[in-house]
Amino acid sequence: MHRWLRRAAGLGLSGCALAAVLIPGPAASGLARRVASGGEIVVGAEQEPDCADWIASCAGSSWGVFTMQEQTMPRVFDVVARGRQWVYTPSLLMAGPPVLSTDGGTQVVRYPLNPRAVWSDGAPITSTDFRYTWDQIAHGTDIFDRTGYDRIASVDDSDPHTAVVTFRTSFAGWRQLFGGVYGIYPSHLLQGRDRDNAMKDGYSWSGGPFKVQAWDKGVDVVLVPNPAYWGPKPKASKITFKFLTDTAAEFQAFQGGEINAAYPAPEPDAVRSIKAGLTDASSLVNADTGNIEGLWMNNAVFPLDSVAVRQAIAYSIDRNAIVRLLFGPLGVSGPSNSLNPPILAPYSDQHAFAGYHLDLAKVRQLMTRDGWQRVGGLWQKNGRTAQLTIVSTAADKRRELTEQVLQAQLRRAGFALTVQNRDANTLFGQILPAGSYQLGLYAGVATDLDPGLCTVFCSSNIPTAANGHSGSNYTRTSIPALDPLLQQVDTDNNDATRVQASKAADRILAAQQVALPIDPLPNIAIWSKRVSGVRGDNPVYGMFWNLSQWQLQ
Amino acid sequence: MLNLVGRRALYSVPVILIASFLTFAFVRATFDPTAKLRQSRESASAIRAERVRLGLNKPLVDQYGSWLGRFLRGDWGTSERTHEAVTAQIGRALGNTTQLVVWGVLVAAVIAVGIGVYSALRQYSLLDYTFTGLTFLGLALPPFWFGLIAIEFLAVGPKQWFHLSDPPLFFIGLHSGGGGILDYARHLVLPVMTLTVQIVAGWSRYQRSSMLDVMSSGYIRTARAKGVPRRQVVLRHGLRNALVPLVTVMALDIGALFGGLIITEKIFSVPGMGKLFIDSLLAGDATTLTAWLVVTAAFIVAFNLLADVAYGWLDPRVRVA
Amino acid sequence: MRPPTPAPPAVPEPEPVGPSELLPSVEPPTAVEAQPGSAGQLFWRRLRRHRLALISIVVLALLAIACFGAGLFAPYGRDEQNLALGAVGPSWQHWFGTDELGRDQLSRLLYAGQISLEIGLAVALLSTLVGTVIGAVAGYLGRATDQTLMRLTDLFLVVPAVAVLAIALKKFGHDRFTIIWVLAALFWMYVARVVRAQVLSIKEQDYVEAARASGASGAWIIVRHVLPNCVGPIVVNATLSVAAAIVAESTLSFLGFGIQIPATSWGRMLADAEGTVGTSQSYLLYFPGLAILLTVLAVNFLGDGLRDAFDPQRGDA
Repeated sequence: MHRWLRRAAGLGLSGCALAAVLIPGPAASGLARRVASGGEIVVGAEQEPDCADWIASCAGSSWGVFTMQEQTMPRVFDVVARGRQWVYTPSLLMAGPPVLSTDGGTQVVRYPLNPRAVWSDGAPITSTDFRYTWDQIAHGTDIFDRTGYDRIASVDDSDPHTAVVTFRTSFAGWRQLFGGVYGIYPSHLLQGRDRDNAMKDGYSWSGGPFKVQAWDKGVDVVLVPNPAYWGPKPKASKITFKFLTDTAAEFQAFQGGEINAAYPAPEPDAVRSIKAGLTDASSLVNADTGNIEGLWMNNAVFPLDSVAVRQAIAYSIDRNAIVRLLFGPLGVSGPSNSLNPPILAPYSDQHAFAGYHLDLAKVRQLMTRDGWQRVGGLWQKNGRTAQLTIVSTAADKRRELTEQVLQAQLRRAGFALTVQNRDANTLFGQILPAGSYQLGLYAGVATDLDPGLCTVFCSSNIPTAANGHSGSNYTRTSIPALDPLLQQVDTDNNDATRVQASKAADRILAAQQVALPIDPLPNIAIWSKRVSGVRGDNPVYGMFWNLSQWQLQ
Repeated sequence: MLNLVGRRALYSVPVILIASFLTFAFVRATFDPTAKLRQSRESASAIRAERVRLGLNKPLVDQYGSWLGRFLRGDWGTSERTHEAVTAQIGRALGNTTQLVVWGVLVAAVIAVGIGVYSALRQYSLLDYTFTGLTFLGLALPPFWFGLIAIEFLAVGPKQWFHLSDPPLFFIGLHSGGGGILDYARHLVLPVMTLTVQIVAGWSRYQRSSMLDVMSSGYIRTARAKGVPRRQVVLRHGLRNALVPLVTVMALDIGALFGGLIITEKIFSVPGMGKLFIDSLLAGDATTLTAWLVVTAAFIVAFNLLADVAYGWLDPRVRVA
Repeated sequence: MRPPTPAPPAVPEPEPVGPSELLPSVEPPTAVEAQPGSAGQLFWRRLRRHRLALISIVVLALLAIACFGAGLFAPYGRDEQNLALGAVGPSWQHWFGTDELGRDQLSRLLYAGQISLEIGLAVALLSTLVGTVIGAVAGYLGRATDQTLMRLTDLFLVVPAVAVLAIALKKFGHDRFTIIWVLAALFWMYVARVVRAQVLSIKEQDYVEAARASGASGAWIIVRHVLPNCVGPIVVNATLSVAAAIVAESTLSFLGFGIQIPATSWGRMLADAEGTVGTSQSYLLYFPGLAILLTVLAVNFLGDGLRDAFDPQRGDA
């Protein structure tokens, strides 16, 4: 699934610990005495989730996943590192790996359930819960995203210990179902009730290591161990996620010992604080994320409807300089070169865009051949000037710095750039769907290990009046050769041919230069030396993927 | 007197009604409640169905009518952002904002009256000039800048200079996990300071000028001539009469504070009305915003009324008339 | 919000909306009896006596010259970047330091001043114009017109200004011109009330009655006889609105509705520096704040001086 998830001012979720850099602080000072003993850990959360009904449209915040969802909702697959790659592996909910069969062209998946798996009230987790979950997502109202579930024809729950899911059309990304940022819902507690109403303000049941003790809106979320959990018991007796929506305040709170760990978005303020050194702390920077920050182009408007102009813009930009400026202090230096984020490396050509680098001679060549003339420093064609506007999320320091560097770089290459930033809600809710922009600076986020660029680049997903402006192909990419490839990526259950199709699509995207990838928005984790058990970053579940193993000394 | 109050109260009703209609129309024109569905890739027919369910296909006046009916019955709708009842959201936010308002007003009133009275009694003294200077400074400070500078020099700074494990004053929220009165006070100082600077400046100027007026009036001079002790003249006659205009101004200002602490709450992460406004605005949560605007407007109208009442009640000249 | 019952004398009429974070609570210019014919020299003599106001005029003039002449005075270009340099504190090369993009903050401060002052002046001008027309018409025509216009004014005063501003900017986008007209749309009520009060007190006077009797039109009477006598309060109010608009713009920037980069205003520079609190770059926070402080202070002093100069009866109080 390719989603536009919200994380702090920007977007994001994910990563892996390959590029981990430990930044030791100066000599240790006094103990952080504000934190109570007995293994009560306080974590800073940069954003408060709007609601805790994970499949409703009010969800979709990565901090909802971090603070509650991943600790309480059972899932079929975990996402773990194997070597240099992230892979799905069956969770403790499963008695064995789910079995995929495509006999007679019908895709069927059988999920063998662990008989020890129970909800916090002792009721077993059964195939009926699978059926309920599918029914809610596929047929409910006000759902965040139905991708995949809308392809399921039925869920057979005649055997409580085996869920049999039959698909209407084949769906290669089936491993992201019944897990990810949604999870599996307890039918025995919710059936016949208003699910949204029961869950939105937090819920006391759990099928994970922790359960939500209290969600004090605007203040914090408190997790306590779920005694009925059948897996390894949590080591901490209490985890508090404290909402600190201001990055500067978050770092002050960390330095003051008010919080023991934080997972700040890679904003300049956070980068600066880490560069300055943190006292008595460990930190980790991971550039191998599920994010892709890019310069997205509206392929349907002048002058970006010309491939040559899009390419010329790509050759006008020194992406290295931008990445160095934003993340250099974190040790991240190179730009991203694929519109698939780093965690999807197995499915993508991570060097597809490597050919685009600052080359003004190339810009001149491309523009001249496309019929442009340079007049007074700016390109002109048929009396129209190469005057571009860029939109992004307002009040986002990192993006505004990027835009100003882009402005200077493009000006040198003969393009004038005007900034028209708006708040995220207006940007993603109105401007991008309506296509009333030329260039956009924002991030795409993968929340699972399946490539899925069809949602953002298939011509059928261009938002139009006919489809109620509900597609996500904001770049209005319409390339006949690309559509079948991306559809194959979505449906092909043969991994080898799927990989081939995905890489071929990447190369077409690069050749047509529909958008320019810039950086992977590195994830940053910081934690006090007193907290043990932190084991790096996870592309879906953040630094909190093994929260149950954390403890305070 | 009662007649006066009644007349003004009656006058408030159409004002708040028309204000609520304009607010409703303004928010409707600005936000599309179905924008979120588009982002979650709902089908066109689902979006149309939702528009019908919300009544967006009806004329604006009809929409307003049914909204007003529900609003008056206490059904303020469900927030599109959090799916929570708007009444619950606003209730919680008001609780936090009220704490800031109450403490802020108390502190500001004491300081402003003190400064005003002193400055009036010792007109043209060094301290009077100092206070006047500070007043101008207070009025000229951009409020959020003052808040940030205060964090820098009163919280973060001391912590770094003296290698404390905690900042002496907190600047996040209204309390930490532990709680306790000291903890509460350490959280309150900075936000209350930030929100009172301008108020103190404004109120103390009022207090000073009305105190000067009163002290130069005939009956004070008469009292002094009759040999009433200075202290008694100042307190019993001077201060009491000089407080009348200030109380009126205070009532007006307090009404505006309930919707006016957006900056203070943002800087100090206080989950009050201001923060609710920003969150709702950035999420395009039309239902919450409409209720928010009407509630804050109602506060202003109510405290305006209160100001009128207080004025009529405290000032004998009005009472007689 | 207040019904038009005349307040008893000697008691300052309270402003309808108190010090919100948006509108600094400048002391309201009290409606005073203007002195027909006594302006001119007397005005200047009184203003000259007000030393702070004179200093303020000099300070404001210097600021305006420095900002609008930034092309001449600024040591570096407005957007001149130096990525290799990055953010460094104040030095001889860069008196006010540089930001992340290596831009000279002194130069940016001067260019930002252009925009802040422009916004301040434009909002003051626009709101004064609108407010004067509405106030004069309401006061002169009276009755239904007066009622309608003043109730409209009340409505604008009832809803929290910052909130309405922010919603409007979210709807219309936040470029410089939108910010100006949106601010002006919420500033005119104060002028309108002051002018109306003045007009009400002037229109019954003999010479106005005489003009009316001799067949002069309403518009002519307002322009020729009534408005000249309101100049005092109007000018004082306009002056104070300059300061209020500059501060309001900074508040909007802080809420994320500032003008679009790379253009910047003092308020925007300040808002951008929010995250530097408690870090080595907190110098970015000081200078734009001081610029606003200095300007607003000077404008307020000037307003004070003007008020005294226009109103000889107003004592020190």
